[in-house]
Amino acid sequence: MILARLLAIVLGLLVSVSAAQSQRLAVDLSKSEVAISTGFTGTELLLFGATEGYGDIVVTVVGPRRGEVVRRKQRIAGIWVNQESVTFKSAPAYYRIAASKPLKQITSPAILDQLQIGVAEIDLVTQSRRPTKEVADFRDALIRNKKRLLLYSEDISDIKIVRDLLFRSTIPFPANVPTGDYEVTVHLFDAGKPISQVATSLPVRKVGLGAQLYSFAHAHAPWYGALAIVIALAAGWLAGVIFRRT
Amino acid sequence: MGAKRQRPARTEFRYNTGYNLTMQIYLPIAEMSLNALMLLGLGGMVGFLSGMFGVGGGFLMTPLLIFIGVPPAVAVGTEANQVVAASVSGALAHWRRGNVDFRMGAILLIGGFVGSSLGVWLFTFLRSIGQIDFVIAASYVLFLGIIGVLMVGESVRAWCRARNPSAPRRKLHKHTWLHGLPFKMRFRRSKLYISALLPLFIGIFVGVLAAIMGVGGGFVMVPAMIYLLGMPTSVVVGTSLFQIVFVTANVTFLQSVNNQTVDIVLALLLIVGSVIGAQIGARVGGRLRGEEVRIALGLIVLAVCARVAWTLVVTPDDVFSLGQAGGHR
Repeated sequence: MILARLLAIVLGLLVSVSAAQSQRLAVDLSKSEVAISTGFTGTELLLFGATEGYGDIVVTVVGPRRGEVVRRKQRIAGIWVNQESVTFKSAPAYYRIAASKPLKQITSPAILDQLQIGVAEIDLVTQSRRPTKEVADFRDALIRNKKRLLLYSEDISDIKIVRDLLFRSTIPFPANVPTGDYEVTVHLFDAGKPISQVATSLPVRKVGLGAQLYSFAHAHAPWYGALAIVIALAAGWLAGVIFRRT
Repeated sequence: MGAKRQRPARTEFRYNTGYNLTMQIYLPIAEMSLNALMLLGLGGMVGFLSGMFGVGGGFLMTPLLIFIGVPPAVAVGTEANQVVAASVSGALAHWRRGNVDFRMGAILLIGGFVGSSLGVWLFTFLRSIGQIDFVIAASYVLFLGIIGVLMVGESVRAWCRARNPSAPRRKLHKHTWLHGLPFKMRFRRSKLYISALLPLFIGIFVGVLAAIMGVGGGFVMVPAMIYLLGMPTSVVVGTSLFQIVFVTANVTFLQSVNNQTVDIVLALLLIVGSVIGAQIGARVGGRLRGEEVRIALGLIVLAVCARVAWTLVVTPDDVFSLGQAGGHR
């Protein structure tokens, strides 16, 4: 009896594993990193993949988390001055979501919340002691400003599915894209249930002269300052010499 | 409290698959992409005006950089670096002609080092509490307003005097309580015997301005040297340029160390544009009449002042703004 039950459990496990594997998901990006070079004016990556059979696809791209301060201006004697501020710890520097159809039609809000899918679901932690309603205003302002900078976006209709098997989506990066490690996650839903998920990391970094100058400016600040002065002195002196001759 | 209308982002958002032909250049410290030709042109234009009017141009360049979207902190730090280049050739030329009072310059410089170090510290503090953009703008409104009004007023009076020579002249040197201060020193080149505290305080004051506004401070120092110290005009420009080179170098260094806000790529583009513009401007300026040139400069100063003041009083599109905790912007 016990043996039979054990066998049933093992069989059951095997079946469920193979069921999960049958909904396999393969994903790749057109580039393995976003390189910010001297001529960088923003770029676009192509995300493509394949599923085995029909499902709904949701792609999230989450940038590195860091502290963001949201400040509110108030008018004092006719002049707009920053007054209150709320600091959100670990706000994603970049957030993008794309889906094959409107999120409400894909799954329930509870699951979206659990998987943190959607701009409204971004975890924004603050230690501010302001009233909850006011903190919500600052939170909305953070998202609104990020959207204006094209760093947060929800482009729902962006994923194209070909013959229920292949899908592709483009991920835009504006010129002001923050550097760091990005996480690209592809969720596959079937009948409202998340059945598979693939995550890849995508580094966004500066390359070439710009990258070297940036790291030099931060790692060896005194030498960078000295270099800036020497360049300016040399340029000014050289200009004087050249134009005195002509 | 919400945004009344969505405005396109300041940063150009263009897709780029290959090489860009638009001459966009990514500025590594400002962390944004701007048109290199536009920056060269901006440098050339400000250089032209500074060459024509014999001013440093920092007080024009910093607000212009902020208007085109460069973070104010980066605009100020980078502009200090550009002023080093803009002043050094002039300082050397005046030195060769013997138009530098080194003793006076040294006292001004000691004050300048103290003031600019204080200024960078203040800058760092104001940045941490989110008030630096406001303080930069307010300083510009205040000083450009005062200098612009004084300049236009003085030039108009001089212009009227030229037409009506019988009007009474203002005495250039008056004896005031300032001359009763202790620590008197003899400045041979300037033919002065005055308290060393006076140039020291002028140096400190100009140093603070250099750090916070990203300027050389000549527009404050030159009138102060003429009217407060009573220095002969022949040595005023050379001595102030001598001080400016070292003080802006100090600001460049301290901003690099404390705030990492000096963008060498941006500075270099502005320098190249401005040195060429300055040479052309100097040639054009030589053919114009003094008073008219000064009235024109005064009007430009007032225009920039009004433009900066406008940014302070106009209702912003969004009263909320973003800043990174312990980072840029």
